[in-house]
Amino acid sequence: MNYIFHILIMVFIYGILSLSLNLLVGYGGLLSLSHSAFYGIGAYATTLLLIKGVNFFPALIFSIFFTSILSFFIAYPSLRLKGDYFVLATLGFQIIVFSILYNWVGLTKGPYGIPGIPRPKIFNFELSTPFHYFIFSGIFFFIVFLFFRKLYNSPYGRVLKSIREDEIASASLGKDIPLIKIWAFVISCGICAISGSLYATYVTYIDPTSFTLDESIFIMSIVILGGSGNLKGPFIGTCFMIILPEILRFLGLPDTIAPNVRQIIYGLLLIILMKYRPSGIMGEYSLQ
Amino acid sequence: MISQFLVNGIITGSIYALIGLGFALIYNTTHIFHIAYAGVYVAGSYAYYFFYRVIHLPLFFSFLAGIIVSVVLNLIIEFLIYRPAYKRKSSPMISLISSIGCYICIVNLIALLFGNEVKIIYQGVQPSYNFGNIIVTQIQIIQIVSFVFIFILYLLFMKKTNFGKFIIAFLNNPELLSSIGINIFNLRVIIFIVSGVLAGIASCLVATDIGMDPWSGMSILLVGIVSLIVGGVGKFNTAVLGGFLIGIIQSLVVWKTSAKWQDCITFLILIIFLLFKPEGILGTKRRFEEI
Repeated sequence: MNYIFHILIMVFIYGILSLSLNLLVGYGGLLSLSHSAFYGIGAYATTLLLIKGVNFFPALIFSIFFTSILSFFIAYPSLRLKGDYFVLATLGFQIIVFSILYNWVGLTKGPYGIPGIPRPKIFNFELSTPFHYFIFSGIFFFIVFLFFRKLYNSPYGRVLKSIREDEIASASLGKDIPLIKIWAFVISCGICAISGSLYATYVTYIDPTSFTLDESIFIMSIVILGGSGNLKGPFIGTCFMIILPEILRFLGLPDTIAPNVRQIIYGLLLIILMKYRPSGIMGEYSLQ
Repeated sequence: MISQFLVNGIITGSIYALIGLGFALIYNTTHIFHIAYAGVYVAGSYAYYFFYRVIHLPLFFSFLAGIIVSVVLNLIIEFLIYRPAYKRKSSPMISLISSIGCYICIVNLIALLFGNEVKIIYQGVQPSYNFGNIIVTQIQIIQIVSFVFIFILYLLFMKKTNFGKFIIAFLNNPELLSSIGINIFNLRVIIFIVSGVLAGIASCLVATDIGMDPWSGMSILLVGIVSLIVGGVGKFNTAVLGGFLIGIIQSLVVWKTSAKWQDCITFLILIIFLLFKPEGILGTKRRFEEI
């Protein structure tokens, strides 16, 4: 039973990540390869505060703000770039963040990682079992889901959608396009920090290798496979990408080759989807 | 001391330059962000390993086999993925994502066949030579000499055949090129062959020096792309300048701090260039909005 809860917790954590990336890919039309960097920054910010003895909720709020502010300084210059150049800039940022997390041993303990991260406490009630954590992360996922639903139906969401469809037309209506895109980036990265914090406190151990470029590509594949531009797509993509390895495990693949086979399936799916259905399984929008 | 680091930088820079040249050839003409090029690179070095260490062919033939496998794989990717995408007129982002998918497939297939661990071609210590206070190993000399040789051949190929003119025309206006009776698809095949050769040579040279693992291609390709951006996009030879520059900067970083900050500095340079000089050092000046 704990095994099923574990899978569902991972679905929630990655669900939050893919919903946040969906804001950029599906609504902003911006393919970002730096999402696992912000995921990592969120995780490390929360962890370092928790280790110092701060409670979970203040730490979470601090980490969301810290990640958002940092992402503003990334978004402000890099959103002036378009297409491949934007992808390249976010990719460069991803590698820089990974390199800092890995090599700044004084702050992050580098490749040794940080063990023994305390589980969150709510009024002296410690979330110790997977079931507790399942409820806890489920609540967060639900809040994020409602937040995005509200956001997409708000005037801001509609402006973002109009920019995606036709940037010049919406500029001619007097919309401040750079500002709106920066906000999308900042919100997306702030939400990322939530799932980073959940991940760190759930696994109770983090090291930089969880936040590599491959992880960014994985998050991107979730959104591309599931489809972007609505709320169903990323969720279905997450379920698919998280549950597929478990199905492969039941098929009896040896553990030595299972990760490679899984990756090959992801890669083939990306190629096939791009050929026959560029908008993903449930998506409304395909990248231009 | 500094001259030693400069020499090391130039030698690693020559590898980045080769990869940058091959990437530039594809990126400038077809506008495909060819991430799968990293897979092509790795496949070349593994073919070299397979023929030399497993089948025990002579070194020269294994090297040739590595290059051929790179070329064939590059062509397969063009025929199966990029050409259909071009015919469907899909956007560059679609090619980028299918290229990433393709890279994931190739690299994991190689890892499945050969294992995830590092493989080496050359065991033991390589003979080295002293020039004054500079120490250079044999393979480093081979690397720099073959780079010079390849680059001269490449320049001759670009200048003396029509190909050089055609790809500049391709860069400027593909439709016009096809309207004067040039088959775009044949031209693309030549482009992918040449870039496959460049990747194959670079990967076999590096494999002889430090060995290989399935994930080594991505980091070298990324540095190659940085070299191209630094040198200047929109031209075909600028990646050489960028490659040498990045190589020298990297080895100076090793000298002044430590090897672990190499990646960080390289991509910091990339971001600085993207933001302040996106056309690169020698590139054609473009308006910011066009990028």
